Formats: sequence, C-alpha cells, structure tokens
Amino acid sequence: MSGTRPGEPACSAGPGDAARAAGVTGISVSNPDLPGPGATSPGGTRIGRPARRLRHAEHVMGTVFSFDVPASAAPVLPEVLSWLHWVDATFSTYSGGSDVCRFGRGELTLAECAPELAEVIAECAVIKEQSDGYFTAWSGARFDPSGLVKGWSIERASNMLSAAAKTGPSGTGPSGTGASGTGHSVNGAGDMQCTGEPERGRPWRVGVAHPLHPSALAVIVAGRDFAVATSGTAERGAHIINPHTGLPATELASVTVVGPRISTADAYATAAFAMGGAAREWAESLDGYEVFAVAPDGATWQTSGFAAYTAPA
Amino acid sequence: MRRVVLALGGTVAGLVMLLSFRSHLASTASAGVTAGSGGTGTSPGSSSAAGSGSSAASGAAAASAPVSAGSGTGTAVTGDAIATPYGPTQVQVTLNAGKIVKVTVLQHTDDGINSQMIDGHALPLLNSETLTAQSTKIDAVSGASYTSAGYIKSLQSALDKASA
Repeated sequence: MSGTRPGEPACSAGPGDAARAAGVTGISVSNPDLPGPGATSPGGTRIGRPARRLRHAEHVMGTVFSFDVPASAAPVLPEVLSWLHWVDATFSTYSGGSDVCRFGRGELTLAECAPELAEVIAECAVIKEQSDGYFTAWSGARFDPSGLVKGWSIERASNMLSAAAKTGPSGTGPSGTGASGTGHSVNGAGDMQCTGEPERGRPWRVGVAHPLHPSALAVIVAGRDFAVATSGTAERGAHIINPHTGLPATELASVTVVGPRISTADAYATAAFAMGGAAREWAESLDGYEVFAVAPDGATWQTSGFAAYTAPA
Repeated sequence: MRRVVLALGGTVAGLVMLLSFRSHLASTASAGVTAGSGGTGTSPGSSSAAGSGSSAASGAAAASAPVSAGSGTGTAVTGDAIATPYGPTQVQVTLNAGKIVKVTVLQHTDDGINSQMIDGHALPLLNSETLTAQSTKIDAVSGASYTSAGYIKSLQSALDKASA
C-alpha cells in the first residue's frame, strides 16, 4: 500500500519482532509519571504556560503519542493509553499472531477479527476511492492497513478524551481557574487531532517541521477543532510507495493536510505524497481539507483555502 | 559540506533539547521575577519568515564575528563543549521567560579554512533556526512520522519535556 515500508517484515516473526514485542509488553500503562486523579502536573506551573494542563508521551506502535490535555483528563488517560496498546497488538504487522496478520493470511475471517478491523477496512476503501487508488491497504497480495490505523487511533483516542470531558466532574468546564483551556491534543508521531483551546481565547498553534531543515518550521497553522497530518521522507526515508508504479514516491519532500478529522487528513497526506506533483490538482478538489506541500528543492505550494489556517510566526 | 552541516545540526538540536530542559528548571527557579511574562523577550528570529528561506539573509547579517544572534536580556546558560569530528563546539544561550532569546557561539569548529567557511555559513543559519523554533510559541509539531528513536531528537519531544 502507500505507506508500506519496503524491506521491513510484515506479519513475520523475525528476530526484530521479539525485541519489539518485548518493548511493547514492557510498557506499563500505569505510568508513574502520570498524576493521580485530581493532581496537577508538576510542570503545570511552568512560566508562560497555564497551570492545570498535563503533558504525557507514550511509546506505542513503534513511535510516540504525545498528549496535551487538561489536568482533569488524568483519570481517563490510563484507559486511553491501554486502548492504544490494544490497537498496537491487534493491528500490528510485526507480530504474526495479530488479527491483521491472521486475516491477511486467510486464517481468520473478518467476522472472527476484532470488529474495529472492519471499521478500518471500510475507511480504507473510502479513501482509496477518493484518492484514485493512491491510498490502499493492499500492496500486491499483502494486507497492511497501517497507513490508516495510526490516524484512526489518534482520532478514537481524542474522542475518548472528549467523551470523558463531557461526563466528567463539574468544575472542569469554562468556570475552571486561570486561563487554562479545556481542549486537548493527541499527537501520534507528528499527526494530531486538536480540540477546543489550549488556553482560553487562544487557538492551537502547530508548527509544521521543515522537511529540508531539521529544527526549522516550514509554516505554522492554527485552529480550534482541527487535525494536522504530515507525510514525508524526513524521518524514515522514501518509505511511501506509489501503488500505481510500485516505486517509492520522491516528487515531494512533505505534504501537510489540515481539516476536521485526523483519520482522513492522515490518509489524504499519504495519498498526496504518493501522487507527487499530481497531488496539487487533486488537493484542490478535496472537500473540507486544505493542503500545504514542500518540494525537494524547497519550493512550496498550498491549496486556495490553506491560508485560513496559517498563523503568524 | 552538507554532512558537516547536518552533523552540526544534530549537535545543536541536542543542545537545544538539553537547554530547553534546563530552561524549564531555570524559569521555575526564577518564577517570582518572570511569572506570566511569556512574551517579554525580544525574538528576532520570529521576525523573519518561519522556515529557512530567511537563512541566507540572516547568514549574511550575522557573518561578522563574534557569531551571535538575538539581543534579549535574561539568564545566560553555557552548554557543554561538544566534541565533533571537526573540533569542539560550544554555545551559550540567553533565556528570558523560558525562551531562548540569544545564541552565542563560544567555540567554533577549527579544522582549517574549510571549517571556517562552513562555520561562517552554518552557525548563523543554526542560530536563526534555533531562535525561530524556540521563540515561536507553538503547542505541537506536525512532521513526517518519526519512530520511537526519531522522537528523541524531535522538536515535539523538546516541547513535551519543557512542559511535562
């Protein structure tokens, strides 16, 4: 699929898998760094940052999920983290015993798998249709929905936090103390869903890493209930395959998609990256999603509606 | 030459992370003085466009020795001297309200004329990028998917550390 990593094992039990599996099971969800219910983050009083906010970084799915949540979300966070590790185990293409691998080998029917797999496959099909096949969960005969799973799980994790905030204890709403916002962000390896505000009256500000200049930003986007996803070669090389040619996509250095849902934005970013130069016209046709791209020579382009998201540096 | 720039970039990124950790401690310690003053430091980096389009211009402006950028006042913190294949490098940063407002290079790499040429171009560029990234208030970073190992070097990791 677009999003597959050439040369990496899929659904096999190579020597690397044991180490990775051990790493996953070795992570304690009851992280001692997490404050107990009602506690505030030790760093929540950092200057220039409102109190009553909590940051947490969780190693899962071979990457890191960063949470920026109101402190009132502390009680639900362990449940969210636990769910992400379940997704990792169920959808892993590294562990031969996962539902995804067993389904891919024909050992399980879809009905015998976790129902979430059918949900992911249905969403893959929608994006495949919308992207002229540039996004697909099938690479030849190999089944790998990884390109959708991360964005989908970020979105589900964000939804779990939102649901808990609605039913949570009173006093965490707008009447809370200080200028601390009640919104949250879930950033999975550089793709994120943001809700509400990090501080009252201020939108989220998300820097887009410059693909050609590490530590520099290519652009800053701002918004309240929105998602930001970026695909590129800066971190893991030319790992996105153009499914129509079977070759790694190299026409762009990175593609950033902004819109309401991270699941869709992430898949669109992967598809646009696989398209390369042709993505510009396709991106303009997307409904509700805006695109910003950097070419390998540093040139940039963006869709006509992207400016609505750009923020001053 | 590009390899040298990248090597320096890695070193400086590491320093920035280290310093952002220290800046957390520093700003906590001086809470009584700087509380709530998130934007008081001048931030010359952010006046240029985010990204590297501005690096050539800032490089030319800052090429005259001593190599430093920024004009803010605050607490100066000196990083450890880092050994590189091209000689030691050491920077000092000035912090104000938890942000880097000035970067001064105390030790350049010293590996002959090549090194001087590279330093003359790369160090101002890195200054500019450090200031741009540090002085621009952002909540999160979107970028190409990193692995667990890649996260350690990421700006997102520095943000998580600085605020956790």
